[in-house]
Amino acid sequence: MKSNGKRNTGLTINQKQGLTGWFFLLPAALLIFAMNFYPMLQALVLSFKTGIGNNQVWGGLDNYARLLQDKVFHTAIINNFFYLLIQVPVMLVVAIILATLLNKKDLKCKGLFRTMIFLPCCTALVSYSIIFKTLFAYDGYVNTVLTNMGLISERINWLGQVSTAKVIIIIALIWRWTGYNMVFYLAGLQNIDESLYEAARIDGAGPVKAFFKITVPLLRPTILLTTIMSINGTLQLFDESVNLTNGGPANSTLTMSHYIYKASFEYNPQFGYAAAMSYVIFILVAILSFVQMKVGDKR
Amino acid sequence: MKRKLISLILSAVMAVSLVGCGGAGDDGTTAGTSTDTPTKSESDNVDTPASAPSDDAQSLTVWCWDSFNVDAMKKAGEIYTADHPDVTINVQETVSSDIQTLIQTYAMSGELNALPDIFLMDDQVFAKYLQNYPDVFADITDSGIPFQDFAESKVANSVKDGKNYGVPYDSNTVIACYRTDYLEQAGYSIEDLTDITWDEFIVIGEDVLAKTGMPMLTNVQGEPDLLNMILQSAGISVFDENGGISLVDNEGLKEAMRVYLKLIDTKILQEQTDWSGYQGSINNGTVVGTINGSWICATIMTTDQTQQEGNWAVTNMPKLNDYAGATNYSAQGGSTWAVSSTCDNFDLAMDFFKTTWAGSTAFYDSILKDLGAIATYLPAAGSDAYNEPSAFFGGEAIYSKIVSYGNEIPKINKGIYWKEEKEALGTALTNIVNSVPDLDNVTDEDLDNVIAEAQATVQFNIGQ
Repeated sequence: MKSNGKRNTGLTINQKQGLTGWFFLLPAALLIFAMNFYPMLQALVLSFKTGIGNNQVWGGLDNYARLLQDKVFHTAIINNFFYLLIQVPVMLVVAIILATLLNKKDLKCKGLFRTMIFLPCCTALVSYSIIFKTLFAYDGYVNTVLTNMGLISERINWLGQVSTAKVIIIIALIWRWTGYNMVFYLAGLQNIDESLYEAARIDGAGPVKAFFKITVPLLRPTILLTTIMSINGTLQLFDESVNLTNGGPANSTLTMSHYIYKASFEYNPQFGYAAAMSYVIFILVAILSFVQMKVGDKR
Repeated sequence: MKRKLISLILSAVMAVSLVGCGGAGDDGTTAGTSTDTPTKSESDNVDTPASAPSDDAQSLTVWCWDSFNVDAMKKAGEIYTADHPDVTINVQETVSSDIQTLIQTYAMSGELNALPDIFLMDDQVFAKYLQNYPDVFADITDSGIPFQDFAESKVANSVKDGKNYGVPYDSNTVIACYRTDYLEQAGYSIEDLTDITWDEFIVIGEDVLAKTGMPMLTNVQGEPDLLNMILQSAGISVFDENGGISLVDNEGLKEAMRVYLKLIDTKILQEQTDWSGYQGSINNGTVVGTINGSWICATIMTTDQTQQEGNWAVTNMPKLNDYAGATNYSAQGGSTWAVSSTCDNFDLAMDFFKTTWAGSTAFYDSILKDLGAIATYLPAAGSDAYNEPSAFFGGEAIYSKIVSYGNEIPKINKGIYWKEEKEALGTALTNIVNSVPDLDNVTDEDLDNVIAEAQATVQFNIGQ
């Protein structure tokens, strides 16, 4: 505050600096609002309308009520949760084990191994889905190898059977995303002090015990982060469903996002209904993340 | 000073690279959906037509898929520009599903000016887009195009309320193509497969499978195209007169499904994972033949000429046993040219069509000879090219044969819910195949259950 007799009608230095900060933030904030939040609001309004194509009329909660009766949507939700409950734990466990293994100080060619495991993440989603589809085709590579090795007598129709199609998607997802999560865990592991492991060794703990008692608890924030990201990603799964199995034999691998696309562009367009479905996904992800944060984050 | 200079140069490089990246970024994003066609596409920005129609530089932009169609349209363009040198026909290859998505997106956002002048659209979804987005299509009823010169069933695909909105293109007459060398190996000829019933076909098929190890037919799994062809061949409609779905209590449907399931059970029909697997099975000679729209000739003829030339033959499909109204003829697929309502050079487009697609038998001759594109323009069927024997198909004049089949196709009710119906039926078939162990003895109850579920699904999608 000025100490001379005049009253200070201008802004304080703090306020000025605050305002400057806000001015710098304003363009980006406006863009985010216009490009992200405003369309989300518009989608919410759209989800309250019914009609085909451009003929939209106000329908209130009709679309949401309709969702309750849509058997295909229920199948899609079940598929998403199937992937969630099986693929995410398996992938995260494999990722954390790989990260621990690759964090050993005296391991040779660590960089090479880490790159090789991370490389799948750099592939385009569409490309790798199509390649997996070709691999597991009726006369594809996998069937050929298994037949030549004598493990199967007749070629398996991987993508044509309801039971195996889901498995292929899970395998594809694990192949692609394990490296990604492994990198997060590696970063988290760098923060764990080596002396803790030394102390454990001195106390007679084996590597497995050290893993469960030291590594996992200290990696908790990273595990929380990767779990939330994986849940988010799995609930919004789209590319694999479209390119690998095209919804799978009899909708058995159909995901919610794929069904939204179908409702908008393949069937007679029901945009209000599709918007309602997207909000259901949004709510599901929000609830699950919230639960995760409550359970996982002790801060 | 040096640091400022370096940072300035780096910023400039970044700005330039951002601008450069912006234009090329579209390729990967739209490839996601179907793999119907083997060729890649770039659904880039479309040139908007010239704002002021001037006599100096008139152009028409055309969207269509598949190199065959692109070449056909380019040929038409060449013929037209020979007489009108100031006109350019600009053909942009765009995958069929992309065309549909783009048309829909432009229509929804009101950006009708971004539409091309002419685009190709699958017959099966034409009615859907015509009904849901009528502002996209231009009325060409009174343009002077002689619609009576086209096969009636084809013209009907693009007619609404008595007005025409499209010029028919490729023939969707169903044909059965078989490898005569495999048939001979098993002791059969193509006559044995002409004008037969499905029961007779199954007997022959089992014999051929036993003697040559080759399945008679191939298709894409989960897609009920073959089932839909069988249904249409017997005049069985899955839609009622009002376009509503009518699967339940449809005895013809159950009989057709039983035939289809028997084909799978006896392994006469081999199902492929996707469209490229389907084409591969034909081109690699791992199946005896296929039943599909006549446009499949283009795929068949792309195989290694030396290996398969002369070893193919064309005939009609089997009929649905003794079902009343069963025939050996059906329709599948096909497409129609549409003109967009925002076409600036409408008169030019009409003149173009009248001169080439709806007026020149010489044009149809050339695309037939060079591209194997069979048309539905009736005057073309009388020309020499259509009666020329095809060396690939054993020296038979298949094109006139196919055009003659076109007259016998039964008419059925069509609706705008074709895609929903196709998926529901595909799901029904897959569910039965996966759940019933003995496909030869599928009970009425099993069929009724999956059909009821299919009907419920389609009705749910209709009830908006």
